[in-house]
Amino acid sequence: MNRLHPRIRILWVARAVVFALAAGGVATAATLFAPVSIPTFVPVAVGGVFLVVGVGFALLRYRAWGYEVRDDSLYLQRGVLTKVNTVVPFVRVQHVDSTRGPLERLVGLASTVVYTAGSRGADVSVPGLTPEGAEDLQDRLKRLAIASEGDDAV
Amino acid sequence: MTRLSPLSVPYRAVQRSASVAFALAFFAFTGGTAFGGVLGGLGAVALVGVAVLGIAGYEIAYFRRFEYELTPDTLDIRSGVFSRRNREIPYRRIQNVDISRNVAQRLVGIAAVNLETAGGGETEGSLRFVSYEEARRIQSEVARLKRGGKDGDAPEPEQELLFELTPRELAIVGALSFDLRLPGLVFVFGSTAFPIVASYVDVPLPTGSAAAAGVGIVALVLLVALVSWAAGFASAVLNYYGFRLTRVGDELQYERGLLQRYNGSIPLDKLQTLTVEDNPLKRRFGYATLLVETAGYAPGSDGTNGSGRASRGSEAAIPLATRDRVLGLVADLEGVELPTFEGPPTRIRRRYAVRYSLVLGAATLALYGANRFLPQEIPWFVPLALVPVAVVAGALQWRHRGYALAEDHFVTRNGFWKRETRVVPYYRVQTVIERRTIFQRRWRVSTVTADTAGSISLVGGDATAVDIEVADAAELRETLNGRLREALSARREARRQSRQAALGIRAAEPDRDADASDSGAVTDTESGVSETPAFVEEAEPTTAENEDEGEGGGEDEGENESEPEIEDEDEGEREGEEDEDEGESEETEVEQEADDPFIWGASAESGDDESDDDGR
Repeated sequence: MNRLHPRIRILWVARAVVFALAAGGVATAATLFAPVSIPTFVPVAVGGVFLVVGVGFALLRYRAWGYEVRDDSLYLQRGVLTKVNTVVPFVRVQHVDSTRGPLERLVGLASTVVYTAGSRGADVSVPGLTPEGAEDLQDRLKRLAIASEGDDAV
Repeated sequence: MTRLSPLSVPYRAVQRSASVAFALAFFAFTGGTAFGGVLGGLGAVALVGVAVLGIAGYEIAYFRRFEYELTPDTLDIRSGVFSRRNREIPYRRIQNVDISRNVAQRLVGIAAVNLETAGGGETEGSLRFVSYEEARRIQSEVARLKRGGKDGDAPEPEQELLFELTPRELAIVGALSFDLRLPGLVFVFGSTAFPIVASYVDVPLPTGSAAAAGVGIVALVLLVALVSWAAGFASAVLNYYGFRLTRVGDELQYERGLLQRYNGSIPLDKLQTLTVEDNPLKRRFGYATLLVETAGYAPGSDGTNGSGRASRGSEAAIPLATRDRVLGLVADLEGVELPTFEGPPTRIRRRYAVRYSLVLGAATLALYGANRFLPQEIPWFVPLALVPVAVVAGALQWRHRGYALAEDHFVTRNGFWKRETRVVPYYRVQTVIERRTIFQRRWRVSTVTADTAGSISLVGGDATAVDIEVADAAELRETLNGRLREALSARREARRQSRQAALGIRAAEPDRDADASDSGAVTDTESGVSETPAFVEEAEPTTAENEDEGEGGGEDEGENESEPEIEDEDEGEREGEEDEDEGESEETEVEQEADDPFIWGASAESGDDESDDDGR
């Protein structure tokens, strides 16, 4: 089972911090404009709770994430509260993207997205790869998908 | 190049001018008489006349500029009066050919043909109108040309009646249908019309006691229910009258409708999943509903479906039939008998009971809270009396859940009020998802979903085995993946063999067109050639074809070069063995390929070709 790159934690934690700040900001605004007086510690507490929970989730999510390129399928496991294990047979792969968002580029990471024709798990994304790793995974998946020689994908 | 039916000109002209003229006449006449008296009225009449003439002229031009042709590979349509459009639809891409005729069209003997391909909301090919015979000819020609047949050489495919709705079943469908659109329409119309009417006529407004108002409301509700039931009955009968499902060669054909006849075809190889649906009432009397799901077909978009059922699945959905017949049809279509289901573990009964009890608890709590704050007393403890019901409901839900691994199908069953039994062929599985919520972990169970590429799945659920033991779920996940692989290689094998047989016949007279139109050509022939050396020698005279195949079959050549011995052994085994063994040998083949970069390169070409050809 492969782990994600540890740097993905920076990204996720940063995202949690931003979210907590936003929540704190909203709470502050609500405190300022609310008709009834709300004690000043409330927005701080709201932000703090969001921060703790968010960061905790980010770290747990990192621990829960794993992927594996098997003989005939891509296997993913993830999820903090709801554990999700997904099997994507290579025969079913429609196309593979490797993407690098602006934030991902900041921490020098990339992700690989696998598309199937399915209605539910239509796109499966593996975040937290090094750019080379993402391209390598994309390439491997592509080759395996071709080698597995599916007939009509639908 | 063929023209539409000449009768379509007057029909279209009348159809179009009827609506336009009505609207125009209304506005022009009211406007005209208001401003210019009799003279204005005459002007309005003249205006309408001009409009009708214009429409007739347009329709003649439309008819003259609309041409279609069934070429060997594509259906070409050239149309457009002002902006021209030439459209070519490859036969292999055509998913459905639907014919519809309303009463007037039936009198005149013309029909509308709709050709659907996957993707895109609109109908890709629409012929308005051709004669009914021509419509049927197009339907069967498309099916025949799709198989790559040449003129006259394909035998007429045999027809097999799969299902016919009996009058009794039709009556039950009608009795169970409600159509809320008519009362809705009446309401909208009434609410806008009422003030107008009331301004002319002195409508006595109801001025009575609250009791009278209550009676009025009840009467109104009853009336609405009655009207919607009658409308539902009527639309169900209109829609499903004479419903027949026929298998013609490798296609399903349905026809239905009392006034407006529908007639369409669904290729069998586009079927994704079958769903048998029932509820306690239907179960009690031994009835069920069958939904047929295909990929990318969004039927019912023309808004002609009354009960709303057809728009959920496909036109071939069977509204209602005795359970035996539905199951028989499932067996016919998919070759699977409903197996015995394996349910969730017994302790899950408690989980459901607890779940429902929690709902009751929440309700009780809410009522208690309300009781505290409201002036008058509420019997807040009433929901607690329903706890036994929760226990029973939990047990029922538990009992109707289950999954089974049939020989070629994954079958799941869920729900008590609306029980859905889904049948998914292994080779239709797209991805397998196993999920375990935080609550499920407490009960040591998880849920496995087999995702398919259907259209209902977007709204409803996929085939899902809910709340099964964690270990079973992990096993099921892997089994599904394995069976998908086996089923796919078995299908490949079957296709290869049928392909071989076809080539054997054609060895006498090479037929390039047919090959070019068959997408499987690359995959199938490449194996076919290398594995039957005897045949290749026999077929030497048809060199052009075989050389071509040789190129496409770089993969097999590569294998023979690298490991000729093993490959030969494999072959020997494969010839005689069962499907499963074949699956395994395929598996090793894939692994070998995966180790050899040259083979990747070679198969990359063929793979590309194939995916090009084969997307739905």
